Amino acid sequence: MNEFILLTTSMAAGFLGSLLGLGGGIIVVPVLTLFFGIDIRYAVAASLISIIATSSGAAAGFLKDHLTNLRLAVLLEVGTVTGAITGFLIASYIASSYLFLLFGGFLLFSAFMMLRRREESLGATEHPWSKKLKLSEGMNYKIENLPFGLVMMYIAGILSALLGIGSGILKVLAMDGAMKLPMKASSATSNFMIGVTATASAGAYLLKGDVLPEIATPVAVGIIIGSWMGARTMVKMPAENIRKIFVVILCLVSVEMIVKGFRSL
Amino acid sequence: MSLHSEHYSLELKIAKFLRYGVIFALILLSIGWIGQISQGHNLSAFKEYTSVSFMVRWQMAISNSEYFLLISYLGLFALILLPVLRVLFTAILFLKQKEKPLAFLAFFVLVTLIISFSLGIDL
Repeated sequence: MNEFILLTTSMAAGFLGSLLGLGGGIIVVPVLTLFFGIDIRYAVAASLISIIATSSGAAAGFLKDHLTNLRLAVLLEVGTVTGAITGFLIASYIASSYLFLLFGGFLLFSAFMMLRRREESLGATEHPWSKKLKLSEGMNYKIENLPFGLVMMYIAGILSALLGIGSGILKVLAMDGAMKLPMKASSATSNFMIGVTATASAGAYLLKGDVLPEIATPVAVGIIIGSWMGARTMVKMPAENIRKIFVVILCLVSVEMIVKGFRSL
Repeated sequence: MSLHSEHYSLELKIAKFLRYGVIFALILLSIGWIGQISQGHNLSAFKEYTSVSFMVRWQMAISNSEYFLLISYLGLFALILLPVLRVLFTAILFLKQKEKPLAFLAFFVLVTLIISFSLGIDL
């Protein structure tokens, strides 16, 4: 019975994630830990698998639409993948209670970011690295602040490996906020990179034995089906109202995660 | 074929590969999951973390004839391999276009991924 509830909640996570432009990670990990009582390390590992699935599926569409900046993605993946290795290495030394606290804090940050009105301000000057690597070749924008972007990607990689999330919110924040990419290009490029970021730590967790098929399989199947359903109904749903309700849910769940973290200290 | 149209056609090939790859993994995972349910796994067994390496889990699944669990593992491997192969294809794409710095970066990411996997192996 629990397996079917897990499948259904994962489908809901995939559906909501697709509708709101999020990976399923920030929904799946709290559901697995708070509702099913599964250890957060198993939850993080299962969540990373589901992120690879949704990112790979969505990346195909973005590549076809020619929104993804493949050249920039390759450079920024250097930051996210090395960050993911760092995250995987330090994860073994961090107690579960601190992971709950960190997760709760990240949920609050995500809720705040979801309320923020994204404003597009395109770059005026091309960063020298971007010029040298021709990162904006064939694009109608210029890329600024590349070193800062790389540092942000490194942090995003660490958080991804520690918390089982795609860190898309951080990536998008760096790309359209600091590097001045158009919003659609930053969302598409971020989604394209999320799969590689998650793979770096998911592969390590799988070989370490933390990815349990009993948990990861229904989660991945549910999230893939849910995100396909979400993509098909996206235009028919009032996404703005759902976003507001979801922000409230995120805040409540973050409090629950923080309380659980403090209780188990 | 011009450089841009070759670039675009390779991007489309990568897109197709990712889409079919996810479907293939989904089929394996679904078969594995349905089979696992019939064998009666219980989620409550995972409330406490126990450090058991993948190799030990794999060998236990073989010795207990848990074939659906093994199919699920294959599905998980297929999913994890998708982004790895995507990075490899991207590196080849840049090599073909004689974009050496970008090809180098893509190969660097590929090698880093392989190193990260090796960190999970219990030696």
